[in-house]
Amino acid sequence: MAAFNKITPEIAAQLKAVVGEKRFFAGEAIDPGYSHDEMPIYGKFFPEAAVDVETTEEVSGIMKICSANRIPVTCRGAGTGLVGGCVPLAGGLVLCTRRMNKILEYDMDNLVVRLQPGVLLKDLAADALAHSLMYPPDPGEKTATVGGNISTNAGGMRAVKYGVTRDYVLALTVVLADGRIVELGKSVCKTSSGYSLLHLMIGSEGTLGIITEMTLKLIPNPLCDISCLVPFRDVESCIHFVPRIKMANLDPQSIEFMDADIVTSSAAFTGNPIFPERVNNEDVGASVLVTFVGSDEDELDQKLIRLGKIAQDAGALDVLVVATTATKKAAWSARSSFLTAIEADTKLIDEMDVVVPVDKIPAFLIYIRRLGEEGGIRIRNFGHAGDGNLHIYCCSNDLEEEEFKRRVKIIMDKAYTKCAELEGQVSGEHSIGHAKMVYLKESVGEDVFRLMGEIKKVFDPDGILNPGKVCDESLAAGKE
Amino acid sequence: MLKILVCVKQIPDIDLVRMDPETGNLIRTGVPTLTNPLDLNALEAAVQVKERYGGEITLITMGPPMAESTLREGLAVGGDRAVLITGRPFGGADTLSTSYAIVKAADMEGSFDLIFCGKESQDGATGQMASQLAERFDAAQISCCCSIDGIADGKIRATRTLETGREIVEATLPCLITVEKENFYGRLPNLKAYLEAKTAAITTYTENDIDGLDPEKIGVPGSGTIVPKIYPPELPEPGRMIRTGSPKTDVSELLKLLAEKDAI
Repeated sequence: MAAFNKITPEIAAQLKAVVGEKRFFAGEAIDPGYSHDEMPIYGKFFPEAAVDVETTEEVSGIMKICSANRIPVTCRGAGTGLVGGCVPLAGGLVLCTRRMNKILEYDMDNLVVRLQPGVLLKDLAADALAHSLMYPPDPGEKTATVGGNISTNAGGMRAVKYGVTRDYVLALTVVLADGRIVELGKSVCKTSSGYSLLHLMIGSEGTLGIITEMTLKLIPNPLCDISCLVPFRDVESCIHFVPRIKMANLDPQSIEFMDADIVTSSAAFTGNPIFPERVNNEDVGASVLVTFVGSDEDELDQKLIRLGKIAQDAGALDVLVVATTATKKAAWSARSSFLTAIEADTKLIDEMDVVVPVDKIPAFLIYIRRLGEEGGIRIRNFGHAGDGNLHIYCCSNDLEEEEFKRRVKIIMDKAYTKCAELEGQVSGEHSIGHAKMVYLKESVGEDVFRLMGEIKKVFDPDGILNPGKVCDESLAAGKE
Repeated sequence: MLKILVCVKQIPDIDLVRMDPETGNLIRTGVPTLTNPLDLNALEAAVQVKERYGGEITLITMGPPMAESTLREGLAVGGDRAVLITGRPFGGADTLSTSYAIVKAADMEGSFDLIFCGKESQDGATGQMASQLAERFDAAQISCCCSIDGIADGKIRATRTLETGREIVEATLPCLITVEKENFYGRLPNLKAYLEAKTAAITTYTENDIDGLDPEKIGVPGSGTIVPKIYPPELPEPGRMIRTGSPKTDVSELLKLLAEKDAI
């Protein structure tokens, strides 16, 4: 167990001296939301104090104090995570970046933007669009901070064409555990210059340093887009269609998978049944929503014609076109509502975010459904079919919390074992936090897990940065 | 076979329209257009009728040439034919002259058993067109329709949504119907229909092509109303979040503000 110190009145006074009285919170003044993220089933953990930071220098000042006094520091953005990543397991200080929400500068010659970590994804997307640019990563949670996206290497719907957050981070300003400020990466297109500490920092969930400024790559905004919903009788034929889209050289921007259950939940939640449950007098078992971008309508029509041909060969029930402003809005707001729709009609919820080779999706989904039926747990799922990333939710409205947790643990244990058998990974984009650490260890093995721990020690010898997360088992015995 | 007319309108995306504060005019330049969403509900109702009882759907709209895209959108989801009324003299029309032009153009296509309209358009929102059209077509009218329960022997039976419940009504054909969203959400077009609609023929009528059209009854001369000014509503003072950091001080602050305004 790591030996941390409490925030004494003297230390509190030093912290206040850095951020000022108004941005230091203790006791009841701390936002109760800081005790959890969007997956409250993993428990609530309260910090002793919280600070809202505004500058790199403030973060550095805070870290110097916390490092000197062995105070644990958990960095937090919008708190939209799903694995307990921003939750202060060891108490201590929550350092919130929500006020660092400025887009600082566009470099239109190099298509680069410099911004602070607390900028929300939706704000960056809209601002880039106003400059005729696109920030390609497109995670479903638009109210997440971009800093949080980088800390988790979030992916999202457009990853199939553009890659994930990591692929768009050129440089970071990072405050280390002892308060030193370092610059990682440069605003250049390629590099072969030693170990990439930049890429080590991306996806490290605030355990190696605190990101205070980011330089990101943008692309010109595509001139037009169109989506198609391709419904199938069953999950298997639906998923087998996915590699055919890729092999047809259609270069889709996204390929989103949805089964019949999630479509029903979403229609009830949004009140708009945009995704049909029956097509040509047959029940739809599963569908993919495929999006293409291009320079003009003719180019997109040609892609649609080719998609239609392979869809017919693959046994699709039909190909439905999402072309108008209204249907695009309805379709994408329905797709973006999937998690909220599940949350809206579910009392107890737990999730997994595995990624498997695309051709293994049906095997995994069939397996997890069977586990759900055997364990008396309702399973809801959707995901990014184009890259094998599945969001699977275990839900219950009837069980007591303890019984729910017991049953879900059995399902999760088996499901992650199955995921490993299928050559998959524990998390595609939600990260590890503290909730998935045990599964990460099983997945990567003792040697790799220990290497991760040793890297953590290099950056943070006293273990004060986001203790108990990713590969830090020091708090495991003390968890609720 | 039922002959069905569906009236549709292309409108600017109202989420993106801004008002010129000086002139009070709507700034429509560069604003994307869309089909009035409530018209799509009406079209869906018509398509459901066609699927159950057979029939042919004619879409009709009045607007600039670009309104053709709204007709093609309708053709892709079940329309069979499309009519565009276009020309400078039709411009500046209010509901009176618009309904006149639509009925005169529709007469060129024969008679209709059923006419479907959206309840209102999202841009003008007068809600007058349906009743005026019913009058001019000499048709019965069923408003707030949430379900079409039967069509036989020259009669239609339908359910209306009321504030206090439901009402089942019967009317003789021809009948004009405005629909509720419920049960009539628009459908996505399939690929074949979407592509076919792109090149489908559209009947276009200018002021010179419509038999017996009285030029004094269209456009501005035919309008019974004028709009001297449009201005945005005065918005109340925006709310303020009290967030001092502590629930106790939040409540104290709230009580102080309420006391200042003599609310407590």
